Amino acid sequence: MSVRASRWLLFLVLALAMPVPMWGPFGAFVPAVRYAILFAAGLAVAWAEGTAGPVPGILLLFGAHALVAAGLAGLVAWGGGRALAPLAPRTRGFVVGGACAALLLLALLVDLYRTPFGRAPANNLLGILS
Amino acid sequence: MKWGTRLAPLAVPLAAAWAALAAPPLLAESPLPFPRTETREPCARRDPLRRPFFGDLHVHTALSFDAFGQGTLARPDDAYRYAQGEAIGIQPYGRDGRPLRHIQIRRPLDFAAVTDHSELLGETQICQLEALEGYDSTVCRVMRRFPKLGYMLVNGLMYSDETPERLSFCIDRGASCRDAARGPWQEIQEAAEAHYDRSADCRFTTFVGYEWSGMPGGDNIHRNVLFRNAIVQGAPTNYIDTPTQEGLWQALEAECLAAGNGCDALAIPHNSNVSGGRLFTTTRPDGAPITAEDARTRARLERLVEVTQHKGDSECRPGGPDELCDYEKLRYPRMMDMVTVRTPPQDLPPRIYVREVLSEGLVQEQRIGVNPFRFGLIGASDTHFAAPGMVDEDTFVGHAAGTVDARFGVPAYPDRPDFNPGGLGVLWAEENSRDALFEAMRRGEAYGTSGPRMTVRFFGGWDYTPQWCQEPDAAQRAAQGYAQGVPMGGTLLDPPADAATRAPRFALWAQRDLGGADTPSTPLQRIQIVKGWLVAGEPHEQVYDVAGERDGAADVDLATCTPRGRGFDSLCSVWTDPEFDPTAPAFYYARVVENPSCRWNTWVCNARGVDCARPDSVPDDLRRCCDPEVPKTIQERAWTSPIWYAPRGGGRDAAQLGASEGGAVR
Repeated sequence: MSVRASRWLLFLVLALAMPVPMWGPFGAFVPAVRYAILFAAGLAVAWAEGTAGPVPGILLLFGAHALVAAGLAGLVAWGGGRALAPLAPRTRGFVVGGACAALLLLALLVDLYRTPFGRAPANNLLGILS
Repeated sequence: MKWGTRLAPLAVPLAAAWAALAAPPLLAESPLPFPRTETREPCARRDPLRRPFFGDLHVHTALSFDAFGQGTLARPDDAYRYAQGEAIGIQPYGRDGRPLRHIQIRRPLDFAAVTDHSELLGETQICQLEALEGYDSTVCRVMRRFPKLGYMLVNGLMYSDETPERLSFCIDRGASCRDAARGPWQEIQEAAEAHYDRSADCRFTTFVGYEWSGMPGGDNIHRNVLFRNAIVQGAPTNYIDTPTQEGLWQALEAECLAAGNGCDALAIPHNSNVSGGRLFTTTRPDGAPITAEDARTRARLERLVEVTQHKGDSECRPGGPDELCDYEKLRYPRMMDMVTVRTPPQDLPPRIYVREVLSEGLVQEQRIGVNPFRFGLIGASDTHFAAPGMVDEDTFVGHAAGTVDARFGVPAYPDRPDFNPGGLGVLWAEENSRDALFEAMRRGEAYGTSGPRMTVRFFGGWDYTPQWCQEPDAAQRAAQGYAQGVPMGGTLLDPPADAATRAPRFALWAQRDLGGADTPSTPLQRIQIVKGWLVAGEPHEQVYDVAGERDGAADVDLATCTPRGRGFDSLCSVWTDPEFDPTAPAFYYARVVENPSCRWNTWVCNARGVDCARPDSVPDDLRRCCDPEVPKTIQERAWTSPIWYAPRGGGRDAAQLGASEGGAVR
């Protein structure tokens, strides 16, 4: 696996599964994808109903968190790719693949995320994506 | 012999027998001191000297959009079951849909009213029922998938505008949503009927009601509308279709009071503390000053005001000479500021506290001859998870069973530190029936408490003597109270020539809440009388301690929440106004104060073993336990409805209003 590919794979898995705390009063602990979903949901409501009152602020909150969480995922992926660069491509592939699989497995099996915007207080990866 | 002649001697007994058979049983019994407007069995116990009934007239269930959006699934039936002592499940709910928590009131209530928001009643129904058009709309999808997000967005959209609009999935200019609201409105009525005890036991009374939730520009001008009996409006008035308080009153007049079908209603304003001064306006929507007729309309419909509830105390302005006004205050004068403003404003607008509104009522009365703000005081909870009367400090689980940041979990710290468990309304009535309780509301013979069930009698007259407090028989004492003056909510006219004094006397008697086996309670500390009056048209106020003693004799052990020191099981006083001016209109109300006790946050933090001396040991979600800005104790209290004094030549209109309801003496 090339360094570039390992970075992309790491980025995608981290953006999908790496929880990032939410700043402010809400206490969420979810990955970038979830913030992006919330932003999209808010945008859809704003598109249908308008942007009066605190709606723009709420959109900004989720949008900013989606960007920051994605940025963090990218940073970790870039650092990971750089750290793994000296390894042979095959070894690198095993390491990256193993790490990604481990993270995804953990995210699927354990209620890793705090999701105050959903129906349950905590959930696993499937729960926050469904 | 004509039949008529032969039957003549029997005519009267026959007519009486026929009347007895034809009329409902109630009409055949001894005359009631209030009009009976419904069919029901007579109450087995009726007390002409009246008893205090404890209840909660501000309750939300899953039919309210904001409650549903915050995870509430309990419905009106659950709310009434809870009020009567049954356990109910509340959020959070597990993946199998079962509630993860159950709650049960310690002491059942005597009465309650479910008052769901009339706005979005149909929209909430549409988002929950697949068969209804609009179920698949964007808003409903978001609402179901991300309830709290939906709640935040829709509440924000709905309540930021002076003129809110229907959501886009309400087709036919809103008709589909108005149609959809019929189901929940029917459910509210059916639940009230199902739980209203029409038997002779008179164990529990319900009222059909709703909340008109006006919030122009983020200022709270909400009113709870309560109906006297089962005859109600065809549809509840809502802020979207009727966006002014004047519109609400007109709708109530036209669709209820003047409908000629036996419908009767009251509106109870609440949360003046976050109204931006717009709950009690002295101008019409066009900016012109209100007229006597405007004032009469308001005074006819708005006989009570909620002085305390989850979202803070509205009695009086903090920071002044009355130190007890620094109690459960929100520092934001507008509802929307609570979520959008981080730094509280320094200057609070006028007329956001009840006491200053009572004073403004005197000012308006001098100007136009009618007091528009002639209301009594009650407390309520404003529960958003169908738990009327869940007002004990040690059981508080938050305004909507969770904090803003953890609606769907069980948060360690149940709510914002400036919210509180709310209070109760107490009505002095002959019996526990809708008519009797409604009449008590209308005449203002009511008081509010911050939660405890203390009993408070408050009479005003000219002839009470200190011996009143020596009277050992409570019934005799009450009888003298009524015979020699007016109870709370009444009006004193100028003194009779043969009065024992030229200054009014007030007879007060308070008994502490004795609690129960598992219900903590606290002795009384003192009774105060709050007087407001006008001098040259300018309002003045003064607080008098009239029984008990000031701070210092008692406190509470913060580690165990055990009260310490001296207190009183009951307090009694006959107090004469030492600065009475017979030419000055005035109002007087009593405030009964308990010794200090633990505030809800102290109970929470103690239960979790928080040790603020070791900051590193305090979990993040309990950091607020160690915030010095959050009070650790409170002084629970009761506020009676005022007694007004109307001098010769002024206030006759208001006095007559009181007199017509049995509440004025000369």
